[in-house]
Amino acid sequence: MNAILYMLRKNVKNAVIDTLKSPLKMIVYLFIGASLVYAVIQGFTMNRSVDEQLDPRILYGAYLALLHFISVPIMLKGLSTGSSFFAMSDVNNIFVAPISEKKILTYGIGRQLATSLFLVVCFSAYGSMAIRMFELSIADALMLVGGIALMLIIVQLITLLLFCLCSAHPRLSVYLKFVIYLLPVYALGSVTIFMFSSSMTLENLYAAISQHYLEYSPVIGWLHGFVFGLLYGNTMKAVIYGVLLLICCALSILIFCLTKLDYYEDVLQKAESYYEFRDNIRNGKVSDSDWLGSKPVKLRKQGIRRGSGASSIFFKHLREGARRSRFMFFNINTIVLLGVTGVIGMAMKSFFNSPYRISVIYIAATVICSYIQFFFSAAGDWVKELNKPYIFLIPDSPVRKLIMAGATSIIKPFIDGAISFVFLWMLVGGHIPDIIVCMLVYGSFGCIYISSNILAQRIVGISGNRGVFITFYMGIMVVLMIPGIVIGLLALSNVSGYFTIISASVLGFPVFLWNIFISFMIFMLCKNLLNNIE
Amino acid sequence: MLNVSHLTKKYHRFTANDNLSFIVNDGEIAVLAGPNGAGKSTAIKCIAGLLRFDGEIEIDGHNNKSIEAKKILGYVPEIPAPFELLTVWEHMEFIARAYKLTDWQKKAEELITRMELQDKLNKLGKELSKGMQQKISICCALLTNPQTVLFDEPFVGLDPHAIKELKSMLFEMKAKGTTIIISTHMLDSVDEFWDRVFIMMNGRIEAERERKTVEKSGENLEELFFSITEKNKD
Repeated sequence: MNAILYMLRKNVKNAVIDTLKSPLKMIVYLFIGASLVYAVIQGFTMNRSVDEQLDPRILYGAYLALLHFISVPIMLKGLSTGSSFFAMSDVNNIFVAPISEKKILTYGIGRQLATSLFLVVCFSAYGSMAIRMFELSIADALMLVGGIALMLIIVQLITLLLFCLCSAHPRLSVYLKFVIYLLPVYALGSVTIFMFSSSMTLENLYAAISQHYLEYSPVIGWLHGFVFGLLYGNTMKAVIYGVLLLICCALSILIFCLTKLDYYEDVLQKAESYYEFRDNIRNGKVSDSDWLGSKPVKLRKQGIRRGSGASSIFFKHLREGARRSRFMFFNINTIVLLGVTGVIGMAMKSFFNSPYRISVIYIAATVICSYIQFFFSAAGDWVKELNKPYIFLIPDSPVRKLIMAGATSIIKPFIDGAISFVFLWMLVGGHIPDIIVCMLVYGSFGCIYISSNILAQRIVGISGNRGVFITFYMGIMVVLMIPGIVIGLLALSNVSGYFTIISASVLGFPVFLWNIFISFMIFMLCKNLLNNIE
Repeated sequence: MLNVSHLTKKYHRFTANDNLSFIVNDGEIAVLAGPNGAGKSTAIKCIAGLLRFDGEIEIDGHNNKSIEAKKILGYVPEIPAPFELLTVWEHMEFIARAYKLTDWQKKAEELITRMELQDKLNKLGKELSKGMQQKISICCALLTNPQTVLFDEPFVGLDPHAIKELKSMLFEMKAKGTTIIISTHMLDSVDEFWDRVFIMMNGRIEAERERKTVEKSGENLEELFFSITEKNKD
C-alpha cells in the first residue's frame, strides 16, 4: 500500500507542477475557477423577489433527474468489469506488483471517486443558481450539493458491490444491467403514466415530477428522499431513507470483504480499450472505435460508389454513416430531439395556444434544441477525419476538402430540425413560416458549431491543448452567435400586423441568415486548416 | 527527386529538426536512421506536408504542400490509421477516387494479394489487427504509383512474409526510378537495399554516407551508426 500511496502523492505533485509550467493551461483553469466563484457569490448575494421564484416542485424533479444522470452511467460502468477504475499504467505496473487484489481495487475505486468528486465543485455553481431560482437558504443549497457528493460516494460503493458480484458470476451482469436500466425507466414511466392519466397541463407536469412514489426507487430515490426530508424538515422521512442507504452501503462493504476476487483478466482488456479511448479524448481525437467498441457492424451495401477528389470524402462519410445506423441521419440524437420538442410542446401548449402566442413555443423549442445540439456536434465526421493523415494528403483544394468533410455534419442538423419541428407542428399546430424558419435556424446553428470548431482548431491548432481549445471554441461560438440574435431581436421589436403572429419567423430569419453568412465566411477564412495536421 | 533545404521544425523552445538539408535522387532509397527522439518521424511528417516548418521542401520540383506534389507522393505513417467503418477494398476505392485514379482495380488486387489481405477484403478497418492495418496503409500509399514514397518505420508490426514482400516492392520501385525515404532504427531491415543514409541525432544530420563509400571502407551500416551515435554521446 505504501507503493500506491507514494505513486498517488507523486502523481498529484507532478500534475500540479505540470500545470504551473503551462501558463495557458493555468489561465484557463483560473478562468474556470473564477467563473465558478463568481457564480457562487452572485447566487449567495443576489436577491430575487418572491414573484420571480420558480415552483419548488421543479427543483424536486430536476434534482431527481440529476441524480439519475450522475449515478446510472457510473453503475453501468461498474458492471463492465471496472473498466474505468484503472489506467493502462496501473495494469502494467501495479497488477504485477506484490499488492493484494483488494487493496488494488480499493485504490482504483478511490481514484475514480476523487475524479467524480470534482463534479461536486462544478455543481456548486448550480447550488447558487438554485438559491436564486427557488426559495432556498445557503444551508439548503449546501445540503443539495452535499447530497450529490454523498450520491457519488454511495454509487461507488454500489459499483464495488456490482463489480464483486459480476466478477464471481459473469452472467449476472446481464440481469443487473436490466435492474439498473429499470431505475430511470421507473421514474420516467411514473411521470408518463401520471401525465396520460390526467390532462396535459403544466400544473400536472409539476405534480407528476414531484410524486412521492419516485423516492421508492432504490438508492437514487432513497437519497433523494433523504436530502428532501432534511431540506423540508421531514425528519421521519430523512431517517427512513438514511437507514436504507446505510444498510445498502454496509452490505456492499461486507460482500466486498467476503468475495474472493479474480478480476485481473477482465480488467486488462477493458483497460486497454479504455486507455485508448481516454487517450483519444485527451488528444481531442474521436474515432468510431470509441463508441462502437467490439459491437459487430453490419456491412450492408458495399463500396463508396461515387465521388472524385474531395467529394469522395463526403461519399465515404455516407457509407460510414449507413454502417453506424441503418437510417443514417435518423439516430439517437433525432430521438432525443423528438422527445425534447414533444415535452416542450405538451408542457407549453395549454399556456400558449392562442394564434398570437403559439410562436413562443417554437422560439422556446428552437432555443432549447439548438442548445442540446451543441453536445451532439462534438463528434462530427469531419473531426474524425482530422485524426487521420489522408485528408491532408489528398490532392485537392483545401477549401473543397473542408466543405466535403463537414458536409454530413452540416446536413444532419437540417434533417433533425425538419423532423423535430414537423413533429412539434403535429402536436401544437402553428404557422407554416414559423415551422420552416425554426427548422432553418436549428440547422444553421449546426453550421455555427462547426465553424466555431474550425476557427478554434485554426487558432489553437489541431493538436493543441484540449482545455484551451474548448475555452476558445465556446468563446468563439458565443461571439459568432450574438450579432444574429441581436439583429433578430431588433427586427422583432419593430414589427406589426401579421408579423406579430409569426414572431418566431421574425426573430429567427435574421438569425438564420447571419449564421449561414458567418459560417461560410469562416469556412473561407480557415481554408488553410488542412495545410497541416498541427 | 526530393530536395529538402534548411528544414527546421520547432515545438515551442524545443527544436525537433535543426536546419536539415539533403537530396534524394530518383531511383534512390535513402534511410533516415537515428536513435529514439532524433527527429526522424518529424522530418518525414514535414516532407509529407503534415507539419508546419521553416525551410523548403520540393518533390520533383513542386512545393511539398502543392496539389501537384500531393499527387505524386505516397506516405506510410508510423502508426496506421485506417477508417474504422470501411472495408479493406473500400480503402482502395476511396484512395482511387480521392486521387482520381483510373484502372486502379488491377493494381489494388495485386497489392492486396502481395500483402496477403485477399481473404480480408470485406473486413472493416476496426476489425483488423495492428499488422494488417499497417498492410492497408502500405497498399493505400502505393496504389497511386507515387513518384516519391515516405515510409515511417514500415516494418514494425509486419509478419515475415509481408516484410519480404515489402522489400521486393522497394526493389521494384527503385528499379522504376521512384524516390524512397525510409525512417527506421531497425538497421538490419534496410541493410540489403539502402543507397544513401542520413544519421540523425538531436534533430540534426550528423552524417550522410553513400553505400559505395561505406562498403569501400569495409564498414557496414550498423558499425557506421554506432561509430557516429556513440561518438556524439561522449
